[in-house]
Amino acid sequence: MQRWTSQAIAVPPRSNWQRADLEFEGVEHDGPSFVIHVFLNHPDADEATPRTAEQRYAGYLTVFAHGDCWGDVGHCDIPEPVSPFDQRPSHPLEPFDATLEITEALQALPDDAGEITVTVLAFNQTDDADGVLRFKQLTLLTYA
Amino acid sequence: MSTGNREKQPLTITARPTPNAAPARLNVRKSVDSLTAQELADFRRAVERVLALNDKRGFEYFAGWHGVPLGWCQHHDPLFLPWHRAYLYWLELALQSEVPGVTLPWWDWSKDATIPSAYSSAQADGSQNVLAKAPINVFNTERKSGWPTETSRAPGRAPQVPGPPYQQEWAYAMKATNYTDFSQRIWSVHDTLHVWVGGTMGQVDWAAYDPLFFAHHANIDRAWRIWQAAHPGANPPASILDVSLQTDPAIKVQATLEVHQLGYEYAGTQSTVPGSA
Repeated sequence: MQRWTSQAIAVPPRSNWQRADLEFEGVEHDGPSFVIHVFLNHPDADEATPRTAEQRYAGYLTVFAHGDCWGDVGHCDIPEPVSPFDQRPSHPLEPFDATLEITEALQALPDDAGEITVTVLAFNQTDDADGVLRFKQLTLLTYA
Repeated sequence: MSTGNREKQPLTITARPTPNAAPARLNVRKSVDSLTAQELADFRRAVERVLALNDKRGFEYFAGWHGVPLGWCQHHDPLFLPWHRAYLYWLELALQSEVPGVTLPWWDWSKDATIPSAYSSAQADGSQNVLAKAPINVFNTERKSGWPTETSRAPGRAPQVPGPPYQQEWAYAMKATNYTDFSQRIWSVHDTLHVWVGGTMGQVDWAAYDPLFFAHHANIDRAWRIWQAAHPGANPPASILDVSLQTDPAIKVQATLEVHQLGYEYAGTQSTVPGSA
């Protein structure tokens, strides 16, 4: 299991939003498939922590990934376009953005905190302690 | 009027393949659990026949579109639903070329907690069940060290992955009010099912070699069809409608939006089409 906890993320006053999403930007999916379970303000959460509202559990995301690279050398390297006229489809291993709606979990927190931390528990078949979830940045998106 | 006679008539719905063409009967995809014994036997026979073809009509060729060796599939982006709809469309035609009238059944994992017995029983009608396990012979490609030789599954053994039924996830997707939200929500549960089944089904590169893949994706496509019926005009972003999807032959996203124009419908979906008069 890999555990990752974010820095504090600012949360606008609840009166300003109706929906909240966590967006994991630039998720890499070139390894084994994996699942993440997400908790808010619970940096000590582990695999034994009940996935309940009381434990500030926000939900899960599963990533159907590619597994080992099967091609020749360079097959799984993401190439740059070779010219402005390069209309080939994007490489299958281009990182993607994964969204988890956390409206209910965020609404259940006290409104005066002004910020949250996000703790992610990530699991795959190999039970890695790190490197299961690799992504560029995490954004909290709220919608009026 | 004899209602008894009417009840004996098969349900038939039609659409015009092109604007000026005569109406034609649509094929109806059904839940695997509602197939008659004959329908299931016909479907198995079609799969068995395409598995035996080592050319571009064959199952291995189609399986190779998704992962090894061609890698044409689209995941985690707005092309996910159109690409897989096109994929099923072309494969279903190949199956129908072998056994006319067969359609891809769906596995409703929003209600079922396990893999349907039609796909999990080792034997069927006294022979090996072709829906339970399939060989992996990559089309026109020399086998490499480490490649699987046959499909595998390990349902429920991926650590910490929630298992079906995915009733809540299905309902959450159906509540989406725009295409982008629907697409993201349904691909999320799609990913979960793949990883829960595990084995080769849990890896993008090998998943489509398993016949179960197509029952799973028929259910994803059915979800989109149902959602479309409830949200008329809620199309993918305009920027992708003219994108040519990487299939053989290629097809534009726009051409995948109406299942009736692809010649099929899902049993149980509520919708209305022009009659034949």
